Amino acid sequence: MTNLPVPFIIVLTILGLVGVGFYCLLATRNLIKVIVALQLIIKGVFLAFVLAGNLTGMISIAQTMGLTVIVADTIVAVIGLSMAVQIRHKMGTLDTKALSSLKR
Amino acid sequence: MWYAIVAAGILLCAILAVTSKKLLVSAIWLAVTSALVALMLYLLGAQQLAVIELSVGAGLVTVLFVFAINISGEEPMSLKPVMPKALAWGLVIIAVGMTIFLTLKSGVLGLTLQMPSTASMILWGNRYLDILLQIAFIFCGVLGVLGLLSDGKPEIQEEDEE
Amino acid sequence: MSSNLLIPLIIGVPWLGALIILLDKDRHEKLQHSLAVIISLAAAAAAVLLIPQTSKEVAFSVKMGSAFGNFSFVADGLGVFLTLIATIIGSLAVIFSVNYMHGEEGLGRYYAYVLFFIGAMSGLVLTSNMLLIFFFWEITALCSYGLISFHNDDPKAVRGGIKALIITSVGGVGLLAGALLLFVYTQSYDLNVFLSNPSVLPAKMLAFLGFMFLVAAAAKSAQFPFQTWLPDAMEAPSPISALIHAATMVNAGVYLLARFFPAFAGIPYWKEAVMAVGVLSAFLAAIMALFSNDLKRVLAYSTVSQLGYMFYAIGTGDVFSSQFHLFSHSIFKALLFLGAGAVIHCVGTRDMTKMGGVGKKMPYVQWMFIIGALALAGIPVLNGFWSKELILEAGAATDVKVLYWIMVFVAGLTALYTCRMVWMVFFGEPRSDYHAHRAGAAMKIALAPLAAGALVSWLSIDWFSKLLNSGSLPFHTLKALDLTEMFHEVFTLQTLIPLAVIAVGILCWFFRAKLAGITKLFGWLRYLADHSFGFEGINTGIVKATQNCAEGLRVTQTGILGLNILAVLCTIIILFSLFAIGV
Repeated sequence: MTNLPVPFIIVLTILGLVGVGFYCLLATRNLIKVIVALQLIIKGVFLAFVLAGNLTGMISIAQTMGLTVIVADTIVAVIGLSMAVQIRHKMGTLDTKALSSLKR
Repeated sequence: MWYAIVAAGILLCAILAVTSKKLLVSAIWLAVTSALVALMLYLLGAQQLAVIELSVGAGLVTVLFVFAINISGEEPMSLKPVMPKALAWGLVIIAVGMTIFLTLKSGVLGLTLQMPSTASMILWGNRYLDILLQIAFIFCGVLGVLGLLSDGKPEIQEEDEE
Repeated sequence: MSSNLLIPLIIGVPWLGALIILLDKDRHEKLQHSLAVIISLAAAAAAVLLIPQTSKEVAFSVKMGSAFGNFSFVADGLGVFLTLIATIIGSLAVIFSVNYMHGEEGLGRYYAYVLFFIGAMSGLVLTSNMLLIFFFWEITALCSYGLISFHNDDPKAVRGGIKALIITSVGGVGLLAGALLLFVYTQSYDLNVFLSNPSVLPAKMLAFLGFMFLVAAAAKSAQFPFQTWLPDAMEAPSPISALIHAATMVNAGVYLLARFFPAFAGIPYWKEAVMAVGVLSAFLAAIMALFSNDLKRVLAYSTVSQLGYMFYAIGTGDVFSSQFHLFSHSIFKALLFLGAGAVIHCVGTRDMTKMGGVGKKMPYVQWMFIIGALALAGIPVLNGFWSKELILEAGAATDVKVLYWIMVFVAGLTALYTCRMVWMVFFGEPRSDYHAHRAGAAMKIALAPLAAGALVSWLSIDWFSKLLNSGSLPFHTLKALDLTEMFHEVFTLQTLIPLAVIAVGILCWFFRAKLAGITKLFGWLRYLADHSFGFEGINTGIVKATQNCAEGLRVTQTGILGLNILAVLCTIIILFSLFAIGV
């Protein structure tokens, strides 16, 4: 196991994170779990940025872009959670299927 | 070898975060995942980013989750998901498998990790657009939260008076 | 102030103003009115300050990496003059709206759309990046839709708005295709790169591009065969008709053709196609104007007709006279629409058969309107005369004389329907019981500069030629004239022919009782004109097809998160398998 090249292990981690996040998005009906899944996917993304930065030697630019991604994802979590709180308050449920009122 | 251990830890904690029934437990496992990702970042040489990710991901976001879950109350949901779990796992594994196949084909794994001694973030030099974007983002986020968490009542009273 | 500050100001200040007015949420009406007037005047002032900075150098540029090129803005002669028109007539329309839209609901939405539009129109003509041209093009189409359907509880207004949106967007697709083609061949979106060397595209691609742009321009400027959206867009409030559908947005098509003329002039049959489009639009629209009874529809048809003149001028190769006519037309058409707006607001109806004798109750508006009408008809001394004569001179110099004679005939028709319109509204006895009150102060203030412009704007041809010919347009060879040269051009024997035809047109109106027999003969023409010669069918067909397509595709929007993510994953799998196979 440990004689696999290190970049390959990290790529597996990244894909694992993104894959687990996507699975959660496919299989959940709770709004807060959706935000957890988004957080996992974004962790995979900036890990990929840093890996790319490391492999090409441009670690400082990778860190800057990773910072932007972290800021964006934190804002998404903040607004998503406050929306979830308000929805629970006004509509009484956090079930995405029951909340969906799009005319079909 | 450390890489392999941390990587295994990250995947394990992520799967636990996703498959737990209670929301609070999910949030805690998410915090542990964040901490392990911060460790991985440190090992890859992005030290400042690791510190930021530790404080924001394992600190701020977890606190927010705990607040939100407590305020909105736990809903014991054991509802059927939109599609069968096996199909979901199957699709994800196929997609991940194709991506691995493509990475192997591209030969990027032949490179080795470099360990730069000192590499700090270029914050203002030529990435000022990024910083401006982040400021705009944070501003909009604060406005959004204030708007979301305010009560809609005073506006209706004003219209009644007019 | 240098141009790299002025250009972001001209575009940014109206956009910021739109945001601020929206944030007020209709709580303080006076604040919204005054803020809108101040902001549009500020944009106009910035545009005036830009005049001395005209040059062919890039004035303001934002680097966007290799995918989008540079978002660059160039303050060259063509752009500066159109920005001036957009901002100045924009501010006059906003001043007029202070009275016209007094007490209306949703005022914030109205001013936000108008200011957003003014910024976008200035951006459209000042930019040299083709992606940005498409971006601003679509923004103007969006604002036009929002303003036509401003009274969104009126189904006719909503239908008119959607029709305008769909038809101009169909044209916009041609523009996007052009931008992408250019990128494929030259790796850059900058149109100066294209204009300096049009043969970088293979001949078939260049021809395809030329005709796609002609389609886009014809759709935007309501030319043949897309001319039916403009009359239906008259459901918009009159200041909007003056600003968008007479002075600025519909000129975007003419601007597009003028800007790309050096590249497309060499394509076989392109110039002939442009001429044909212009002549057909001018002719059909003039006939439809003759038979219409709705005041604003007559003005809409006359806009289509005059735009046909501009297309015809470009087709003959004389870009200068088309831009000069654009200048005069913006002024007198805005004057006519604002005057019509004052009449409609004060009388309460748009139907000319119910008006008559309005001149006695509203003398100020009557005189302003008559000045505009004289300019439209091409009576000497007013600006319409000079520019129309220049176009006809250019037309007489071509080989295809038939088109020239049709345009001269259309000039006569223009005089005829203009007389009819003015007489039916302002003279004679009132044909119905209407109650007319006088126009408000803001309306009068807005009309005055336009009337002054209609009387004297032709005197500024010196300065206009200098603006266009100062070396800021390196790829265009413009036959720019100064005042004495213009007199030489216009005061020739050839000018007498159109003047005679115009005189015949006016006489026909005054002797209409005697010509009643001939009028009866053309009854079948009235039927055809009312149905827009069958083009209504084509345009309604396009609109219906688009709407049915949209309804059919609505099934895919389920709103269920799981299904959307399923679509994402399936796309990833398909794409990666394509990559793996090696496509």
